[in-house]
Amino acid sequence: MLRLRSFRLPSYLVLILFSFVAAAPFVWTILASFKTGAEIRQSPPTFWPENFTFDNYRTILNDPDLNLALFYRNSAFVAFANVFATLFTSTLFGYIFAKFEFKGSKKLFWYILATMMIPAQVTMIPGFLILVKLHLLNNLWGLVLPAFIDAFGIFLMTQFCKSIPNDLLAAARVDGASEFRIYRSIVLPQLRPAMATLGLLTFMTHWNAYLWPLIVLTEQDKRTLPIILTWYSNQHSNQIHLTMAASVLIVMPVLFLFALAQRWIVRGITLTGIK
Amino acid sequence: MSASSKIKTSDSKASSETVAKASSRRSSFLTGRKGAERRFVFGMVTPMVLYMAVFSVLPIIWAVALAFFDYSARRTGGPILGLGGENPFVGIENFQKMTDFSAEKPLEVRQFHLSLRTTLLFAFLVVPLNLAITLPLASLIESVHQRMRPLFRNLFFLPVLTSAVGVAIMWGFILSPQRGLLNALISKVVGETTIIAWTSDPSLTVLGIPVSLFAVIVAYLWQDLGYNLIIFIAALQGVPQSVKEAALIDGAKPWQLFRHVTIPLLKPTIMLASVLTMISAFQVFDLFQVMTNGGPNDQTRALSIDIYESAFRFQRMGWAAAVSVVLFLIVLVLSLVQSKLLRSDWEY
Repeated sequence: MLRLRSFRLPSYLVLILFSFVAAAPFVWTILASFKTGAEIRQSPPTFWPENFTFDNYRTILNDPDLNLALFYRNSAFVAFANVFATLFTSTLFGYIFAKFEFKGSKKLFWYILATMMIPAQVTMIPGFLILVKLHLLNNLWGLVLPAFIDAFGIFLMTQFCKSIPNDLLAAARVDGASEFRIYRSIVLPQLRPAMATLGLLTFMTHWNAYLWPLIVLTEQDKRTLPIILTWYSNQHSNQIHLTMAASVLIVMPVLFLFALAQRWIVRGITLTGIK
Repeated sequence: MSASSKIKTSDSKASSETVAKASSRRSSFLTGRKGAERRFVFGMVTPMVLYMAVFSVLPIIWAVALAFFDYSARRTGGPILGLGGENPFVGIENFQKMTDFSAEKPLEVRQFHLSLRTTLLFAFLVVPLNLAITLPLASLIESVHQRMRPLFRNLFFLPVLTSAVGVAIMWGFILSPQRGLLNALISKVVGETTIIAWTSDPSLTVLGIPVSLFAVIVAYLWQDLGYNLIIFIAALQGVPQSVKEAALIDGAKPWQLFRHVTIPLLKPTIMLASVLTMISAFQVFDLFQVMTNGGPNDQTRALSIDIYESAFRFQRMGWAAAVSVVLFLIVLVLSLVQSKLLRSDWEY
């Protein structure tokens, strides 16, 4: 073990160096959001803001074209609706696939797993045409309805449900519990840790989603945060200080929450090895 | 009473699955306890199957069908899915066009060739670069004090949680010609003002690969390496301490330990992580669209950008569907490799 300790100092040095690289984009963005427009245009650029200012934030929060509260609400609706739908269908069908066998159940399960291999670019064109037929373009439900069944979620929950003891389910049946009651009162509580992980991953996916919302939402006031951020950035391409402040306001608050819940997200990745 | 039920559960009399199967044969079809289970399963699975017919099976069939038509959503077309009529069936013409390497090939074919090359370059550069960073980084993190490990791991994982649009905008600013951090640092080192347009100068190439593509690769590596890092850290924790100690007692240097003990032991994980990284690299859209939007001069037009632009900007959905089928076939082959890797048994 002595030998192991002897190469720790260089390890720390390399890790700290890498940490600077990993943190640089965040730090650079946050610092720029406190600089004035004149300072941003200065060449060579400054690192620390010379005249520390909150003006950029004030400009954004008072911008009538950028109703951040509305866009936060849109994004939150889409993310929470998806989390709710995914958790419900994944736990329910995970339980059914793990504990019941019915005609075609294996084939159905493999079909669902196989759909994970299909790139989003393949189904997005017909998916768009289906939403047109359902009159769900420019409707936030258009970002929820096509994602009701989540293959990854069903796979994850099936794995977890297999470990629920059959005796527990049998005992509930003896007590006369209805099948849905068993799912709700016996199965769901057992799945709580898995639900936390799946819920967070689902929230993250839909909060950060870009391609599908870009196709479905073309009206400004229906849009979600990532699309609004690119729109704002294109509108203010000569005012980087404003774009950076907008990035901080749009990206950082939820990133901070994700960082607090990181343990659960990391667990989901190590458990399944699936992105 | 011996309805040949396919539902398998345990009931009061039986706890093990085999006995449960036998007991289920004794129940009637839709009444009683077994009937309740059957009603529950069919009641839940039926709407799911109907839903999947519309939102999963239909889009897949539709996408493949579109690839054989000259389809645009602007034209009404035939009665079934708008195919036929003004959106005529063209057979394998879309796929034949893809193999047109002549000088007079149409623009969309030229762009397809360019984007296929870009995506292949991107994926085959990203995977080795990713491994070259994440493997040593994972073992470095494992080599420091236990209390410090989560700190570093969490920091390197933070970009994974960040929205790709945010990543693209942050890196766009770092690489900005006049006001970017990178050019400022280079200017400091070189001693004179250096202005390099990393993402927008089409004349900048290294070994025939556009620099703008490297810019996207750097941003992607920065965002994505947390995934493999976590997978490798988990795998490293599975390597028995005794193996490492034995090597050290035999006089192995840290580098030799990494090269001749850690890497071979992690080989299955490395293979799997490579395939997963490659599959996602083939589908990257957000970073390309926001950082370069395919430019300059279509130099970073990835397949995903090509499909999106063809379908929704130029309304050539049949052609776009054909390109998406090509992308699907590439990902399918990689996925089959992945499942083969998953199935094989590995032991230390």
